[in-house]
Amino acid sequence: MRSPALKFILLFIAQTALWNYFNFTPYVFIVFLPAMLLCLPAERGTVRVMILAFILGLIADFLVNGQMGLTSLALVPVAAFRRRVIRIVFGQEFFIRDEALSFHRQGWVKFLWAILLLTGIYLIVYIPVDCAGMYSSGFRTLKFLLSLLASSAVSMAAAFLLLEESDERWK
Amino acid sequence: MPGQKPSSLLVSAATFILLELAALLLLRSSSTLQNIWMNRASHRTMAFLWGSGETIRSQFQMDEFNRTLQAENARLQERLRAYEAMDAEREELDRMAVRNAANYRYMPATVVKMSRNRSHNYIILNKGSEDGIHPQSGIISDLGVVGIVQAVDKHYSYGLTLMNPQMSIGARIGGSELVAPLTWDGRHSGRAILSNLPPHFSVAPGDTVRTSGFSSIFPPDIPIGITGESRLVDGSTRQVDVELFQDFSRLRYVTVVENLDRAAIMALEAEGEVTR
Repeated sequence: MRSPALKFILLFIAQTALWNYFNFTPYVFIVFLPAMLLCLPAERGTVRVMILAFILGLIADFLVNGQMGLTSLALVPVAAFRRRVIRIVFGQEFFIRDEALSFHRQGWVKFLWAILLLTGIYLIVYIPVDCAGMYSSGFRTLKFLLSLLASSAVSMAAAFLLLEESDERWK
Repeated sequence: MPGQKPSSLLVSAATFILLELAALLLLRSSSTLQNIWMNRASHRTMAFLWGSGETIRSQFQMDEFNRTLQAENARLQERLRAYEAMDAEREELDRMAVRNAANYRYMPATVVKMSRNRSHNYIILNKGSEDGIHPQSGIISDLGVVGIVQAVDKHYSYGLTLMNPQMSIGARIGGSELVAPLTWDGRHSGRAILSNLPPHFSVAPGDTVRTSGFSSIFPPDIPIGITGESRLVDGSTRQVDVELFQDFSRLRYVTVVENLDRAAIMALEAEGEVTR
Protein backbone atom coordinates (compact mmCIF):
# COMPACT_ATOMS: atom_id res chain seq x y z
CA MET A 1 0.00 0.00 0.00
CA ARG A 2 1.70 3.14 -1.18
CA SER A 3 -0.71 5.98 -0.42
CA PRO A 4 -0.01 7.45 3.04
CA ALA A 5 -3.41 9.16 3.07
CA LEU A 6 -5.21 5.91 2.45
CA LYS A 7 -3.17 4.17 5.13
CA PHE A 8 -4.00 7.01 7.49
CA ILE A 9 -7.73 6.66 6.78
CA LEU A 10 -7.62 2.88 7.14
CA LEU A 11 -5.75 3.13 10.43
CA PHE A 12 -8.27 5.66 11.65
CA ILE A 13 -11.09 3.22 10.78
CA ALA A 14 -9.11 0.52 12.56
CA GLN A 15 -8.91 2.74 15.62
CA THR A 16 -12.68 3.31 15.70
CA ALA A 17 -13.28 -0.40 15.13
CA LEU A 18 -10.95 -1.22 17.98
CA TRP A 19 -12.80 1.12 20.29
CA ASN A 20 -16.15 -0.24 19.16
CA TYR A 21 -15.54 -3.96 19.22
CA PHE A 22 -12.52 -4.72 21.34
CA ASN A 23 -13.01 -3.65 24.91
CA PHE A 24 -10.96 -6.19 26.79
CA THR A 25 -10.90 -4.65 30.22
CA PRO A 26 -11.74 -1.28 31.78
CA TYR A 27 -8.12 -1.03 32.89
CA VAL A 28 -6.73 -0.83 29.37
CA PHE A 29 -7.60 1.75 26.76
CA ILE A 30 -5.74 1.37 23.49
CA VAL A 31 -5.19 4.43 21.38
CA PHE A 32 -2.82 5.01 18.49
CA LEU A 33 -4.22 8.27 17.18
CA PRO A 34 -1.30 10.20 18.79
CA ALA A 35 1.14 8.02 16.86
CA MET A 36 -0.81 8.71 13.68
CA LEU A 37 -0.50 12.44 14.31
CA LEU A 38 3.21 12.01 14.98
CA CYS A 39 3.64 10.32 11.62
CA LEU A 40 2.14 13.23 9.70
CA PRO A 41 4.80 15.13 7.75
CA ALA A 42 6.91 17.03 10.27
CA GLU A 43 6.80 20.30 8.33
CA ARG A 44 3.01 20.33 8.66
CA GLY A 45 2.10 23.37 10.78
CA THR A 46 0.85 23.00 14.35
CA VAL A 47 -2.40 24.86 13.69
CA ARG A 48 -3.30 22.64 10.76
CA VAL A 49 -2.50 19.50 12.74
CA MET A 50 -4.57 20.77 15.66
CA ILE A 51 -7.56 21.38 13.40
CA LEU A 52 -7.09 17.93 11.86
CA ALA A 53 -6.88 16.42 15.35
CA PHE A 54 -10.07 18.19 16.37
CA ILE A 55 -11.94 16.91 13.31
CA LEU A 56 -10.57 13.39 13.72
CA GLY A 57 -11.62 13.42 17.33
CA LEU A 58 -15.12 14.53 16.46
CA ILE A 59 -15.48 11.84 13.83
CA ALA A 60 -14.16 9.19 16.21
CA ASP A 61 -16.54 10.31 18.94
CA PHE A 62 -19.39 10.35 16.49
CA LEU A 63 -18.62 6.84 15.34
CA VAL A 64 -17.72 5.32 18.68
CA ASN A 65 -19.17 6.42 21.96
CA GLY A 66 -21.30 9.47 21.34
CA GLN A 67 -19.39 11.58 23.88
CA MET A 68 -18.80 14.31 21.35
CA GLY A 69 -15.65 16.30 22.07
CA LEU A 70 -13.90 13.82 24.36
CA THR A 71 -11.36 12.55 21.82
CA SER A 72 -10.90 16.03 20.38
CA LEU A 73 -10.21 17.39 23.84
CA ALA A 74 -7.39 14.87 24.33
CA LEU A 75 -6.08 14.86 20.77
CA VAL A 76 -5.69 18.62 20.26
CA PRO A 77 -2.98 18.88 22.98
CA VAL A 78 -1.14 16.01 21.27
CA ALA A 79 -1.16 18.02 18.07
CA ALA A 80 -0.09 21.16 19.92
CA PHE A 81 2.94 19.45 21.50
CA ARG A 82 3.79 17.29 18.47
CA ARG A 83 6.56 19.51 17.00
CA ARG A 84 8.03 20.19 20.43
CA VAL A 85 8.19 16.44 21.16
CA ILE A 86 9.83 15.82 17.80
CA ARG A 87 12.38 18.54 18.58
CA ILE A 88 13.08 17.11 22.04
CA VAL A 89 13.32 13.46 20.98
CA PHE A 90 14.75 13.64 17.46
CA GLY A 91 16.81 16.78 17.99
CA GLN A 92 16.84 20.32 16.57
CA GLU A 93 18.75 19.15 13.48
CA PHE A 94 15.72 17.14 12.39
CA PHE A 95 14.02 20.36 11.27
CA ILE A 96 17.24 22.00 10.03
CA ARG A 97 17.99 19.08 7.72
CA ASP A 98 14.35 18.93 6.74
CA GLU A 99 14.33 15.22 7.44
CA ALA A 100 11.34 12.91 7.15
CA LEU A 101 10.34 10.63 9.98
CA SER A 102 11.72 7.15 9.57
CA PHE A 103 12.32 4.18 11.81
CA HIS A 104 15.52 3.48 9.94
CA ARG A 105 16.82 7.01 10.13
CA GLN A 106 15.84 7.98 13.68
CA GLY A 107 15.80 4.51 15.24
CA TRP A 108 12.93 2.75 16.97
CA VAL A 109 14.02 3.77 20.47
CA LYS A 110 13.51 7.45 19.70
CA PHE A 111 10.19 6.62 18.11
CA LEU A 112 9.19 4.76 21.20
CA TRP A 113 10.06 7.78 23.34
CA ALA A 114 8.11 10.14 21.10
CA ILE A 115 5.12 7.80 21.07
CA LEU A 116 5.27 7.37 24.84
CA LEU A 117 5.29 11.15 25.35
CA LEU A 118 2.45 11.89 22.94
CA THR A 119 0.34 8.94 24.09
CA GLY A 120 0.99 10.05 27.67
CA ILE A 121 -0.29 13.55 26.85
CA TYR A 122 -3.39 12.04 25.28
CA LEU A 123 -4.09 9.70 28.19
CA ILE A 124 -3.42 12.36 30.83
CA VAL A 125 -6.31 14.34 29.39
CA TYR A 126 -8.54 11.52 28.27
CA ILE A 127 -8.64 9.25 31.33
CA PRO A 128 -9.64 11.85 33.99
CA VAL A 129 -12.28 13.41 31.74
CA ASP A 130 -13.63 10.00 30.74
CA CYS A 131 -13.77 8.86 34.37
CA ALA A 132 -15.47 12.17 35.33
CA GLY A 133 -14.65 11.76 39.01
CA MET A 134 -16.37 8.38 39.17
CA TYR A 135 -13.28 6.28 39.82
CA SER A 136 -10.52 6.41 42.40
CA SER A 137 -7.17 7.97 41.64
CA GLY A 138 -5.64 4.49 42.07
CA PHE A 139 -7.81 3.13 39.31
CA ARG A 140 -7.01 6.09 37.07
CA THR A 141 -3.28 5.74 37.65
CA LEU A 142 -3.33 2.02 36.95
CA LYS A 143 -5.42 2.56 33.85
CA PHE A 144 -3.02 5.26 32.70
CA LEU A 145 0.06 3.07 33.10
CA LEU A 146 -1.46 -0.05 31.52
CA SER A 147 -2.99 1.94 28.69
CA LEU A 148 0.27 3.75 28.06
CA LEU A 149 2.17 0.48 27.76
CA ALA A 150 -0.42 -1.25 25.57
CA SER A 151 -1.10 1.80 23.42
CA SER A 152 2.60 2.45 22.89
CA ALA A 153 3.12 -1.11 21.69
CA VAL A 154 0.22 -0.88 19.25
CA SER A 155 1.26 2.64 18.25
CA MET A 156 4.71 1.42 17.30
CA ALA A 157 3.09 -0.99 14.86
CA ALA A 158 0.77 1.69 13.51
CA ALA A 159 3.65 4.12 13.07
CA PHE A 160 5.68 1.46 11.33
CA LEU A 161 2.85 0.89 8.87
CA LEU A 162 2.41 4.61 8.25
CA LEU A 163 6.12 5.28 7.71
CA GLU A 164 6.74 2.21 5.59
CA GLU A 165 7.15 4.28 2.43
CA SER A 166 9.52 6.85 3.88
CA ASP A 167 11.63 4.02 5.22
CA GLU A 168 12.21 2.90 1.66
CA ARG A 169 13.96 6.22 1.00
CA TRP A 170 16.64 5.50 3.59
CA LYS A 171 17.47 1.99 2.45
CA MET B 1 9.54 27.93 20.97
CA PRO B 2 12.85 28.16 19.10
CA GLY B 3 12.50 28.48 15.37
CA GLN B 4 8.94 29.64 15.66
CA LYS B 5 7.77 33.21 15.16
CA PRO B 6 5.95 34.83 18.09
CA SER B 7 2.97 35.56 15.88
CA SER B 8 2.65 31.91 14.85
CA LEU B 9 3.04 30.89 18.48
CA LEU B 10 0.16 33.21 19.37
CA VAL B 11 -1.97 31.81 16.56
CA SER B 12 -1.17 28.29 17.72
CA ALA B 13 -2.06 29.16 21.32
CA ALA B 14 -5.29 30.85 20.27
CA THR B 15 -6.26 27.94 18.05
CA PHE B 16 -5.44 25.52 20.83
CA ILE B 17 -7.63 27.39 23.32
CA LEU B 18 -10.43 27.75 20.80
CA LEU B 19 -10.43 24.07 19.87
CA GLU B 20 -10.22 22.92 23.47
CA LEU B 21 -13.10 25.17 24.45
CA ALA B 22 -15.12 23.88 21.52
CA ALA B 23 -14.36 20.31 22.55
CA LEU B 24 -15.32 21.05 26.15
CA LEU B 25 -18.60 22.67 25.09
CA LEU B 26 -19.39 19.75 22.84
CA LEU B 27 -18.57 17.28 25.57
CA ARG B 28 -20.63 19.20 28.08
CA SER B 29 -23.69 19.24 25.89
CA SER B 30 -23.39 15.61 24.80
CA SER B 31 -22.65 13.86 28.09
CA THR B 32 -24.54 14.35 31.34
CA LEU B 33 -21.82 12.71 33.42
CA GLN B 34 -19.09 14.93 32.03
CA ASN B 35 -21.40 17.93 32.34
CA ILE B 36 -21.91 17.27 36.06
CA TRP B 37 -18.20 16.65 36.55
CA MET B 38 -17.27 19.86 34.79
CA ASN B 39 -19.84 21.82 36.76
CA ARG B 40 -18.47 20.40 39.97
CA ALA B 41 -14.90 21.18 38.96
CA SER B 42 -15.98 24.67 37.98
CA HIS B 43 -17.71 25.22 41.33
CA ARG B 44 -14.71 23.89 43.19
CA THR B 45 -12.37 26.19 41.28
CA MET B 46 -14.64 29.18 41.82
CA ALA B 47 -14.90 28.39 45.52
CA PHE B 48 -11.13 28.12 45.78
CA LEU B 49 -10.52 31.37 43.89
CA TRP B 50 -13.16 33.37 45.75
CA GLY B 51 -12.22 31.74 49.04
CA SER B 52 -8.57 32.64 48.52
CA GLY B 53 -9.52 36.19 47.60
CA GLU B 54 -11.63 36.46 50.72
CA THR B 55 -8.80 35.10 52.86
CA ILE B 56 -6.36 37.64 51.43
CA ARG B 57 -8.87 40.45 51.90
CA SER B 58 -9.54 39.45 55.49
CA GLN B 59 -5.79 39.37 56.17
CA PHE B 60 -5.59 43.03 55.16
CA GLN B 61 -8.58 43.83 57.35
CA MET B 62 -7.13 41.99 60.35
CA ASP B 63 -5.92 45.15 62.11
CA GLU B 64 -9.34 46.71 61.91
CA PHE B 65 -10.96 43.49 63.10
CA ASN B 66 -8.56 43.36 66.02
CA ARG B 67 -9.38 46.91 67.04
CA THR B 68 -13.10 46.20 66.81
CA LEU B 69 -12.69 43.03 68.83
CA GLN B 70 -10.64 44.81 71.47
CA ALA B 71 -13.29 47.52 71.82
CA GLU B 72 -16.02 44.88 71.96
CA ASN B 73 -14.04 42.94 74.53
CA ALA B 74 -13.57 46.02 76.71
CA ARG B 75 -17.30 46.80 76.50
CA LEU B 76 -18.22 43.25 77.46
CA GLN B 77 -15.72 43.23 80.33
CA GLU B 78 -17.25 46.42 81.65
CA ARG B 79 -20.74 44.99 81.47
CA LEU B 80 -19.57 41.78 83.10
CA ARG B 81 -18.03 43.72 85.99
CA ALA B 82 -21.27 45.67 86.39
CA TYR B 83 -23.28 42.44 86.51
CA GLU B 84 -20.84 40.90 88.95
CA ALA B 85 -21.13 43.94 91.21
CA MET B 86 -24.93 43.75 90.98
CA ASP B 87 -24.83 40.07 91.83
CA ALA B 88 -22.58 40.73 94.83
CA GLU B 89 -24.91 43.47 96.09
CA ARG B 90 -27.93 41.23 95.64
CA GLU B 91 -26.17 38.40 97.44
CA GLU B 92 -25.27 40.75 100.28
CA LEU B 93 -28.89 41.90 100.55
CA ASP B 94 -30.20 38.33 100.44
CA ARG B 95 -27.81 37.28 103.15
CA MET B 96 -28.57 40.25 105.40
CA ALA B 97 -29.42 39.44 109.00
CA VAL B 98 -32.36 40.83 111.02
CA ARG B 99 -33.58 44.10 109.62
CA ASN B 100 -36.62 44.86 111.69
CA ALA B 101 -35.19 46.33 114.89
CA ALA B 102 -36.08 49.96 115.41
CA ASN B 103 -33.40 52.66 115.60
CA TYR B 104 -30.87 50.50 113.88
CA ARG B 105 -29.51 50.83 110.42
CA TYR B 106 -28.38 47.76 108.51
CA MET B 107 -25.87 47.68 105.70
CA PRO B 108 -24.78 44.59 103.80
CA ALA B 109 -21.07 43.99 103.40
CA THR B 110 -18.69 41.33 102.23
CA VAL B 111 -15.73 40.00 104.13
CA VAL B 112 -12.52 41.03 102.38
CA LYS B 113 -10.14 39.49 104.86
CA MET B 114 -10.41 37.76 108.20
CA SER B 115 -8.02 36.04 110.57
CA ARG B 116 -9.06 32.98 112.53
CA ASN B 117 -5.90 31.44 113.87
CA ARG B 118 -4.45 34.35 115.83
CA SER B 119 -4.90 35.19 119.45
CA HIS B 120 -6.39 38.55 118.42
CA ASN B 121 -8.49 37.99 115.34
CA TYR B 122 -9.83 40.70 113.07
CA ILE B 123 -12.09 41.17 110.09
CA ILE B 124 -11.96 43.58 107.13
CA LEU B 125 -15.13 44.46 105.23
CA ASN B 126 -15.60 45.98 101.78
CA LYS B 127 -17.63 48.96 103.02
CA GLY B 128 -16.20 52.11 104.57
CA SER B 129 -17.08 55.58 105.69
CA GLU B 130 -18.32 56.54 102.24
CA ASP B 131 -20.87 53.77 102.57
CA GLY B 132 -22.02 55.09 105.92
CA ILE B 133 -20.12 52.72 108.20
CA HIS B 134 -19.05 54.14 111.55
CA PRO B 135 -16.77 52.73 114.25
CA GLN B 136 -18.48 50.87 117.09
CA SER B 137 -21.05 49.38 114.75
CA GLY B 138 -21.95 45.76 115.17
CA ILE B 139 -21.15 43.07 112.65
CA ILE B 140 -23.67 40.28 112.46
CA SER B 141 -24.59 37.53 110.04
CA ASP B 142 -27.71 35.49 109.51
CA LEU B 143 -26.23 33.00 112.02
CA GLY B 144 -25.37 35.40 114.76
CA VAL B 145 -22.89 37.92 116.12
CA VAL B 146 -19.60 38.26 114.25
CA GLY B 147 -17.78 41.26 115.71
CA ILE B 148 -17.55 45.01 116.13
CA VAL B 149 -16.24 47.65 113.73
CA GLN B 150 -13.19 49.34 115.21
CA ALA B 151 -11.98 51.63 112.46
CA VAL B 152 -13.15 52.74 109.08
CA ASP B 153 -11.43 53.77 105.91
CA LYS B 154 -13.20 55.40 102.95
CA HIS B 155 -13.88 52.05 101.37
CA TYR B 156 -13.05 49.47 104.01
CA SER B 157 -13.82 48.74 107.64
CA TYR B 158 -11.66 47.03 110.22
CA GLY B 159 -13.28 45.17 113.05
CA LEU B 160 -12.61 42.72 115.86
CA THR B 161 -14.33 39.39 115.65
CA LEU B 162 -15.82 37.49 118.52
CA MET B 163 -12.63 35.45 118.43
CA ASN B 164 -10.73 38.30 120.02
CA PRO B 165 -10.24 38.49 123.80
CA GLN B 166 -10.66 42.28 123.66
CA MET B 167 -14.25 41.86 122.63
CA SER B 168 -17.03 41.39 125.14
CA ILE B 169 -20.76 41.28 124.46
CA GLY B 170 -23.67 41.52 126.86
CA ALA B 171 -25.61 38.27 126.46
CA ARG B 172 -28.78 36.81 127.84
CA ILE B 173 -29.49 33.06 128.35
CA GLY B 174 -32.77 31.71 127.11
CA GLY B 175 -35.80 33.49 128.50
CA SER B 176 -34.07 34.66 131.69
CA GLU B 177 -33.50 38.26 132.43
CA LEU B 178 -29.96 37.63 133.57
CA VAL B 179 -27.32 39.36 131.51
CA ALA B 180 -23.64 38.41 131.55
CA PRO B 181 -20.53 39.27 129.50
CA LEU B 182 -19.62 36.85 126.76
CA THR B 183 -16.00 36.52 125.62
CA TRP B 184 -14.00 34.15 123.45
CA ASP B 185 -12.43 31.24 125.28
CA GLY B 186 -9.14 31.94 123.49
CA ARG B 187 -8.64 28.45 122.24
CA HIS B 188 -11.49 27.21 120.06
CA SER B 189 -12.83 28.97 116.99
CA GLY B 190 -16.45 28.16 117.74
CA ARG B 191 -16.58 28.50 121.49
CA ALA B 192 -17.06 31.38 123.94
CA ILE B 193 -17.53 31.75 127.68
CA LEU B 194 -20.33 33.43 129.52
CA SER B 195 -18.86 34.50 132.84
CA ASN B 196 -19.75 36.30 136.06
CA LEU B 197 -23.04 34.50 136.47
CA PRO B 198 -24.33 34.10 140.05
CA PRO B 199 -23.27 30.72 141.54
CA HIS B 200 -26.82 29.70 142.34
CA PHE B 201 -27.96 30.25 138.75
CA SER B 202 -28.62 26.91 137.11
CA VAL B 203 -27.99 26.70 133.37
CA ALA B 204 -29.44 23.91 131.32
CA PRO B 205 -27.24 22.87 128.40
CA GLY B 206 -28.82 23.73 125.04
CA ASP B 207 -30.32 27.09 125.97
CA THR B 208 -29.98 29.75 123.34
CA VAL B 209 -27.74 32.69 124.14
CA ARG B 210 -28.73 36.02 122.56
CA THR B 211 -27.60 39.62 122.67
CA SER B 212 -29.00 41.52 125.60
CA GLY B 213 -29.64 44.79 123.79
CA PHE B 214 -28.18 46.70 126.70
CA SER B 215 -25.14 47.78 124.73
CA SER B 216 -25.37 50.58 122.24
CA ILE B 217 -23.87 48.35 119.52
CA PHE B 218 -26.07 45.29 118.95
CA PRO B 219 -29.83 45.18 118.86
CA PRO B 220 -31.43 42.78 121.33
CA ASP B 221 -32.05 39.06 120.68
CA ILE B 222 -29.43 38.48 118.02
CA PRO B 223 -28.57 34.77 118.42
CA ILE B 224 -25.04 33.99 119.51
CA GLY B 225 -24.93 30.30 120.38
CA ILE B 226 -26.16 27.61 122.72
CA THR B 227 -25.08 26.87 126.26
CA GLY B 228 -22.86 23.94 127.10
CA GLU B 229 -21.36 22.88 130.41
CA SER B 230 -21.26 25.27 133.35
CA ARG B 231 -18.88 25.40 136.30
CA LEU B 232 -18.18 27.38 139.44
CA VAL B 233 -15.12 29.59 139.38
CA ASP B 234 -13.42 30.35 142.69
CA GLY B 235 -16.67 29.37 144.39
CA SER B 236 -18.12 32.77 143.76
CA THR B 237 -19.18 32.96 140.11
CA ARG B 238 -20.47 30.55 137.52
CA GLN B 239 -19.03 30.17 134.05
CA VAL B 240 -20.90 28.67 131.12
CA ASP B 241 -19.46 27.37 127.86
CA VAL B 242 -21.23 28.64 124.73
CA GLU B 243 -21.08 26.92 121.36
CA LEU B 244 -21.27 29.73 118.82
CA PHE B 245 -23.71 29.52 115.94
CA GLN B 246 -21.37 31.34 113.66
CA ASP B 247 -18.87 29.21 111.79
CA PHE B 248 -16.14 31.74 111.07
CA SER B 249 -14.48 29.54 108.49
CA ARG B 250 -17.53 29.89 106.21
CA LEU B 251 -18.21 33.54 106.77
CA ARG B 252 -18.47 35.59 103.58
CA TYR B 253 -21.42 37.98 103.82
CA VAL B 254 -22.18 40.06 106.89
CA THR B 255 -24.43 42.89 107.98
CA VAL B 256 -23.13 45.99 109.67
CA VAL B 257 -25.62 47.21 112.17
CA GLU B 258 -25.48 50.73 113.56
CA ASN B 259 -27.46 52.06 116.47
CA LEU B 260 -28.86 55.39 115.29
CA ASP B 261 -29.30 56.54 118.89
CA ARG B 262 -25.79 55.65 119.83
CA ALA B 263 -24.55 59.26 119.78
CA ALA B 264 -27.36 60.33 122.09
CA ILE B 265 -26.75 57.39 124.41
CA MET B 266 -23.04 58.12 124.54
CA ALA B 267 -23.70 61.80 125.25
CA LEU B 268 -26.00 60.86 128.11
CA GLU B 269 -23.41 58.45 129.47
CA ALA B 270 -20.74 61.15 129.33
CA GLU B 271 -23.04 63.64 131.07
CA GLY B 272 -23.79 61.06 133.75
CA GLU B 273 -20.07 60.48 134.33
CA VAL B 274 -19.50 64.21 134.75
CA THR B 275 -22.44 64.56 137.17
CA ARG B 276 -21.20 61.63 139.22
